[in-house]
Amino acid sequence: MDIFLQLASGASLIASEMAEAAEGGFGFNFDIIEANLVNLAIVIGILVYFGRGFLSKTLGERSSAIEQALSEAERRRAETAKLLAAEQEKLKNAQAEAVAIVAKAEGDAQRAREAILANAAEEVARMKQEAAANLSAEQARILNELRVRIAEMAMQQAEAQLPGRLNDDAQQRLVDRSIALLGGQ
Amino acid sequence: MLNFLDTLNIAPLASLEVGQHFYWHIGNLKVHGQVFLTTWFVAALLIIASLLATRKIQQVPKGAQNLMEYALEFVRDLARNQLGEKEYRPWVPFIGTLFLFIFVANWSGALIPWKLIKLPEGELAAPTNDINTTVALALLVSIAYFYAGFKKKGLGYFGKYVQPTPVLLPIAILEDFTKPLSLSFRLFGNILADELVVGVLVLLVPLFVPLPVMLLGLFTSAIQALVFATLAGAYIHEALEGHGDEHEEHA
Repeated sequence: MDIFLQLASGASLIASEMAEAAEGGFGFNFDIIEANLVNLAIVIGILVYFGRGFLSKTLGERSSAIEQALSEAERRRAETAKLLAAEQEKLKNAQAEAVAIVAKAEGDAQRAREAILANAAEEVARMKQEAAANLSAEQARILNELRVRIAEMAMQQAEAQLPGRLNDDAQQRLVDRSIALLGGQ
Repeated sequence: MLNFLDTLNIAPLASLEVGQHFYWHIGNLKVHGQVFLTTWFVAALLIIASLLATRKIQQVPKGAQNLMEYALEFVRDLARNQLGEKEYRPWVPFIGTLFLFIFVANWSGALIPWKLIKLPEGELAAPTNDINTTVALALLVSIAYFYAGFKKKGLGYFGKYVQPTPVLLPIAILEDFTKPLSLSFRLFGNILADELVVGVLVLLVPLFVPLPVMLLGLFTSAIQALVFATLAGAYIHEALEGHGDEHEEHA
């Protein structure tokens, strides 16, 4: 009896399995327990409940951090642009100043050149004058020297010739003439 | 005869389908169709998320763009931590894809009520609970680190096998096999075990009792994705650096 019961249940099982196999193919299985739907729903619920907070916080922080970084960069860019404009202004001023300095320096140089030229011309004139003075002084000195020389040479000549020419008679005449010159008469 | 009937009686109680697959025949190949379906689903999910995130890009990210940028930053930091500032950039897409795919795959298995959809055979689950998926991913990692090594050093890459001492040559060669093996088995084992534990618990006590295990499963899934991506990065880094410190196996 028992055997028959088991056989019967086995047959029915086989039949149901056959039916399932024949049904085959794809399909949906809406057995909530077998598909573990309740547990999955709870797990997903837990995940969403805890995950959402964490994720939205993290993502929000990330987003705001990026936003902040962007605005910071924007601010810095503006600041830098301002700085750049100021520096460019300074550069322009400096360039203008440089031009002015160059112009002034050129003027100075021109003046200095003229002054130096004038100075040099003056110097040249002075030196010429000095040289001329030197020349005439030298001439005078040489003339003087020549005169002295000639006088000396004349004296020597005279002294050399004197003993030949000078005798008692002549001496006597000379003395007489000298006396006469003195005005004795 | 009686035994046969007894097993039949018990069968509906423990109708946990392990090792049953929804086979597709492609040429001479038999592929696990349910894995393909969920893989496509995960890939589509990621692609749609990326498209949503990049549809209208704003300077200050909001919504989907913000979320995906956050994810990108996460995987970028992960790659940078493993590969170093100098080398990490070209590897971000690879490691990031690994992480995102495995993460979403694992969580899809843990969060989506796949059992609502009935297949002719087998059942839908996380793609990573099939060894083929994880082996494919692990082999991709192997190819990636060999590529990295050869690209960086040419044939000099082989020098790393005898670098500290030629005595360790067999172990160095063995490592190239154990790396994909451990990568694939770790991921596969963790995800499959998690789903089996949840499945068995659901069969025994359908309500509430499986909850802690399911939450733990979520945690494990995330950790496994992280571990896989981190180890992929570590292996690539090792290939780029040549011999060097061994990286700890994480789980």
